[in-house]
Amino acid sequence: MVKAVKPKKAAKSGAISGATRKRIAEEMQKFPQKRGALLEALHLVQEELGCIAPETARELAEIFEMRAVEVMEVVSFYNMFHAAPQGRHHVHVCTNLPCSLRGGRSLLRRLEEHLGIRAGETTPDGRITLGREECLGACAYAPMLRIGDTYHENLGVELAKKLLDSLE
Amino acid sequence: MTVRITVDGAAYEVEEGRTLLQALDDLGVLMNGVEVPHYCWHPKLSIDGSCRLCQVEVEGVPKLQIACDTRVTDGMVVHTKSERVRKAREGVMELLLVNHPLDCPICDQAGECKLQDYAFEYGVQHSRSREPRRALEKRVELGPTIVLDQERCILCRRCVRFCREVPGTGELVVENRGDRSVIAAFPGAPLDNDYSMNVADICPVGALTTKDFRFKMRVWFLDELPGVCTGCSAGCNIHAGVANNRVYRYVPRRNDAVNETWICDAGRMSYREIGSASRIHHPQVRGADGRLTAAGLGDALAVAAARLRAAIEGGGAEAVAVLASPHATNEDLLALRRFLAALGAPPESAGVAVPTGASDDLLLREEKAANAFGARALGFGGADAVIERVRSGAARVLLALGHDILAPAHLRGDVSALALLDGVILLDTHRSALERIAHVVFPARHALEKLGTLTNAAGRVQRVQPVVEPAFAAWSEGEILLRLGEALALPGFEEPAAWDPHAVSKSLGEELPAFAGIDVDSVGHEGLPLRGESA
Repeated sequence: MVKAVKPKKAAKSGAISGATRKRIAEEMQKFPQKRGALLEALHLVQEELGCIAPETARELAEIFEMRAVEVMEVVSFYNMFHAAPQGRHHVHVCTNLPCSLRGGRSLLRRLEEHLGIRAGETTPDGRITLGREECLGACAYAPMLRIGDTYHENLGVELAKKLLDSLE
Repeated sequence: MTVRITVDGAAYEVEEGRTLLQALDDLGVLMNGVEVPHYCWHPKLSIDGSCRLCQVEVEGVPKLQIACDTRVTDGMVVHTKSERVRKAREGVMELLLVNHPLDCPICDQAGECKLQDYAFEYGVQHSRSREPRRALEKRVELGPTIVLDQERCILCRRCVRFCREVPGTGELVVENRGDRSVIAAFPGAPLDNDYSMNVADICPVGALTTKDFRFKMRVWFLDELPGVCTGCSAGCNIHAGVANNRVYRYVPRRNDAVNETWICDAGRMSYREIGSASRIHHPQVRGADGRLTAAGLGDALAVAAARLRAAIEGGGAEAVAVLASPHATNEDLLALRRFLAALGAPPESAGVAVPTGASDDLLLREEKAANAFGARALGFGGADAVIERVRSGAARVLLALGHDILAPAHLRGDVSALALLDGVILLDTHRSALERIAHVVFPARHALEKLGTLTNAAGRVQRVQPVVEPAFAAWSEGEILLRLGEALALPGFEEPAAWDPHAVSKSLGEELPAFAGIDVDSVGHEGLPLRGESA
């Protein structure tokens, strides 16, 4: 099949920094196939840019010699990757079965009311992104939520609200 | 190497290394005696194993196995009708239907929907689910040709695999996860390739539909008649969907020797040529006022014969330039050979002008005419020598079948040389620049309006038959030539029999060794290669 040859860009004007590109190259060494390092790369890029927007997916696709749509496929599959900018703090309430039995779902609903946004949305001031989370392995301490990488367990609604209010 | 397997008590010998579904497909018994329903498996795509509907019982294996991804082994005993299999299918169907909308009455796939068929055949009557079905987008434009209904999709991923494996463009993926999964393309990179519309054919449900056909006609009103695409010289096998004497669509018809199960978008859309408003609807004769006016066949024949006779009396057969058509059937072209012989001209004195266009390694052929190979196999030469005779003034009358003489490679649309001729006699299907200068015009039948054979680019002779009857008077080129020979009182044409493509086809083999044993009746629906061709 005849395919149009796209001219290579003269200079890489992308958002992914040289340092991150170097780390991605290192990760690639660990896998028999380049694309094995894609998840690692997504973590690194999201750490740097806050999200993996379509144009970033395109950049990664070039690095990994994949199609941009395949990078999008991976980003969309995993809850921890975001295609759109998120708030400064990621608050995720577990609504899996044990947490739900202990009030996880109503906790999420109350926090939605408190912040005035729905799960999956970000407060207008960009402070908090509220999300729904699958099991985080803290069933014995349900209901729980995580803020960034920190777990907050055995939560009452009032305690959780206070936690959220204390976030800058 | 072959192995022996037993399926539902019947013994089969199959090729080693094949999966059960492949082996059953090789034998031609899949869904044709051995019922193993399936969604994600497709004979021409890689194995996905995601729909789980093809589960069968294999003796000695405790769990049910998916037939699409289970290799045959010698002595394997398979049951496809057992109670365990029945219950498993029922469960799978129930799961697939949990989120499927009950919108068959407004779904374009209804009537040719595998979900409908299998739900009826293998499913349960009533839904046990009380939860709301997932609500998603009903009209997503995946690209210029295809619309996606996310709710109807059962995520078999056939379309995803097709784009990766056949055209190699890979536009589609499954976005998100679990019950949020949807088929999607990258923003700004829509589903847009030369074969995109095949995804609607392979979609087992009503999720992917073509913009061209959707909501045009209920499929149960369509007669799906076998034919051959005339978009290029590949000769892809098709079913023409016909209702009310009108062709509504082409869908590919499987022929592993030609097009497997695919067709290109350009070829698929070429059905529009049949009912096109630019068809020539009457015999026409140019009057003294210089205008073409409708005439009866007899009058047109008389005028054409007079022009031809005058030219022949002036300069013999040399004075008649003849262009054969790469669109006409082998039978029409054989009639032209006989016409030329009666004039005393060899077949190679007539030329064939073939329009050209984009090609690829898959199906698209450079020559955009269904019978270009056949025209050459019947001994016609190139168009250049014929055009040179017209330019030099040696030829006084042009008899042209088809309308490709004005194609860029030949006259580049320049009709000045032709305008000096004493007569331009045209047998054609569609209006054209050549028609505007012709003195006599005969309306010809489209290949799918007549019985005959076409020889594709690989030398395979394939049958076409009338799928519609033109709503106006039109004739096969062969029949017009027969009448024209009669009007000229050519030797052998004095009292011609009625035009009988069966008989003409039979005599192809008598006059041309390559056609020995090959005619419209012997080639069947899958065609036969010309003698000496491997196709």
